[in-house]
Amino acid sequence: MDLFTIVFYFLAIITLGAGAVVVFSRNIIHAAFALLFAFFGVAGLYVLLMADFIAITQLMIYVGGILVLVLFGVMLTSQVLDVQMKSGTIQTFPAVLVVSALAGTLVGIFWSTPWKTTAAAPMEVTAAKIGEMLLTSYLLPFEIASVVLLAALIGAALIARREKNA
Amino acid sequence: MGIQLYLYLSAILFMIGVVGVIARRNAIIVFMSIELMLNSVNLTLVAFSAFLGDVTGQMLVFFVMTVAAAEAAIGLAIIISLFRNKQTVNLDEINILKW
Amino acid sequence: MEITISDLWQSAPMVSLTLTGLVALLVESMKGGRTTAVYGLSLAGCALAFVFSLWSLGSEVIVFNGMILQGGYASYFSMVFTSSAFFTIVLSRPYMQRLHREQGVLYILILFATVGMMLMASAMDLIILFLGIELMSVCLYVLTGFVRTKVTSNESAVKYFLLGAFATGFLLYGIALVYGTAGTTNLKLISQSFAQLSGNSLFLMGAGLLVIAFSFKVAAVPFHMWAPDVYEGAPTPVTAFMSTGAKAAAFAAFVTVFIRTFAITGTPISEVVAFIAAASMILGNVTAIAQSNLKRMLAYSSIAHAGYMLSGIAAGSAEGETGILFYLAAYTLMNMGAFGIISWVEQQDDTKLTFDDYAGFSAQRPVVAAMLSVFMFSLAGIPPFAGFFGKYYVFLAAVKADLVWLAVIGVLTSVISVYYYLRLVMVMYFRDGNATIEERVPGFAFAVIGVIAALVILLGLYPSLVVDISKTFFKL
Repeated sequence: MDLFTIVFYFLAIITLGAGAVVVFSRNIIHAAFALLFAFFGVAGLYVLLMADFIAITQLMIYVGGILVLVLFGVMLTSQVLDVQMKSGTIQTFPAVLVVSALAGTLVGIFWSTPWKTTAAAPMEVTAAKIGEMLLTSYLLPFEIASVVLLAALIGAALIARREKNA
Repeated sequence: MGIQLYLYLSAILFMIGVVGVIARRNAIIVFMSIELMLNSVNLTLVAFSAFLGDVTGQMLVFFVMTVAAAEAAIGLAIIISLFRNKQTVNLDEINILKW
Repeated sequence: MEITISDLWQSAPMVSLTLTGLVALLVESMKGGRTTAVYGLSLAGCALAFVFSLWSLGSEVIVFNGMILQGGYASYFSMVFTSSAFFTIVLSRPYMQRLHREQGVLYILILFATVGMMLMASAMDLIILFLGIELMSVCLYVLTGFVRTKVTSNESAVKYFLLGAFATGFLLYGIALVYGTAGTTNLKLISQSFAQLSGNSLFLMGAGLLVIAFSFKVAAVPFHMWAPDVYEGAPTPVTAFMSTGAKAAAFAAFVTVFIRTFAITGTPISEVVAFIAAASMILGNVTAIAQSNLKRMLAYSSIAHAGYMLSGIAAGSAEGETGILFYLAAYTLMNMGAFGIISWVEQQDDTKLTFDDYAGFSAQRPVVAAMLSVFMFSLAGIPPFAGFFGKYYVFLAAVKADLVWLAVIGVLTSVISVYYYLRLVMVMYFRDGNATIEERVPGFAFAVIGVIAALVILLGLYPSLVVDISKTFFKL
């Protein structure tokens, strides 16, 4: 086993383990912190795949943005000082049913597909290439993304604001 | 090391997320599970992008992340406004949310 | 490749609507009598975008480096969406004023949602499709929870958001697998290599995940669970917008991917879609019978209508596409009209929403009762109203594609649907009621509903007006 493979399995275990904690932990704070490790694990996998720009973006947006928002959500909707930070029931039967159907199909297909085992020549620094494409052929999606963010900004401010007369 | 390892990994991560959405009844945990699903999709996209030698996949990941951030802001705002009126984020205690 | 000014000109409907939204946002943030200004501006923006769409209906171009299609198919749908947005804005004003909740932001979010819908209909690239769906959905989540003080509004927003985001996960996984097997996200390139891709099981899995995601968005069985609750909990004009504009947009994307890009006839995908269509028609119509709340009844009816239109997609033919296009125009009009009247009658405390509340309505409000009857007849698919021809075209397409069983289910379930639509008409005309409808001034919204009723009859008498146009749209 070469170093790449060892690192891959290491990151895979972190990501899946953390993912499992997010989903199965009964303590919502534990779940939120496990999510942090899952995000880091995925970022590490991006580095393994030579996607430098995406790896950094993952850290900035997911860890720096979304995770902080989630933590705010947890704090604002639970009595933090209260010991009761438990989070609800688990319905296993429908979940097992749906997932086993989906997973069975996917694994069957992955198994039967002949894969290329070698990566294409690793791309040189991807940030420059992505930046160039964002401002040329992908200019329209880039602009649309800004409208999505604007709409989300207005909407979130509108919904989360406290009632003036309440 | 082939691409299939990454695809298996992301498929498993996706399934973990799906389990979370279906099985859990806390709105915020469900939301976190959805984030796991999106991360697994991103991993699939980056793996395909690397093995195809094509940067489009990474471009898509960039947009997915942007949208995920927008959705996180909206989603948590909605959940907080529910909490403010109802003092719960437990989906079982929500009357019309019987799915 | 460079983007030029002509790209912007050719996307005039979309660009003008976005700019209107931005200007309205600036006006909204200024002090003094602003809500009326935003209202007027938004209506003007919708009207302008409608005119631009009508203008470009005959010329089809692919702009922004193969990212979007403008004119033709996209313009047709832009006209449907801008009409839907226009009606929604008109209906929202009196409704929100009654709740003392009128804010300009409401209209601005409707405009941005409409831009998202236009992107869904014009997408030539899966990235644009994804961004369009998200722009629309993000706005709709907020609109659903717009009445912040009402718990039902909050609850339905949470439900819509969580299930919508869940569907986004499936959409993206589908896109990822299609990208991985096709090596591109461009729909034109994918359609060229579809013949060899359709034998690849990984590609078919991706397509299957896309079917799941789109079925969520059009509220088809078994991915319909959100619809009745969200339709009931959302403010009624927003429900009207979701069941018309948003549904039309989801179908526009569905048709773009599964008829115009993929040639699904004879593939397993077609069978899956046919199954979903049959399940939606049966479950939607049977459950609708049991409803006493009109908003819920129309929610189940909208599931059934999604089923009828899906039989056009299962056919996968040009006839199916034409049928769906006509159906969507008719459905948008009649559903908008029905919700318009319901929101007009509704009280601010969520009452006057049941069948019983309409007893004796024809004596009190003969004109409104007549218009509501027109919409119900049309929804039931009784000739000569527009709804009849919609069903006729999609079922004809299904028969031609050797899906006779699907058309038979469609016709049988339509017969079932007559029961609950006409029940409302019966209650209005033949049951004496003391349910007094609060005095309402027949304002602008009322006039618009009258126009919609006239259009439903017009399209029923001259369906070729729309059908001939939609036949000229070029194929990928």
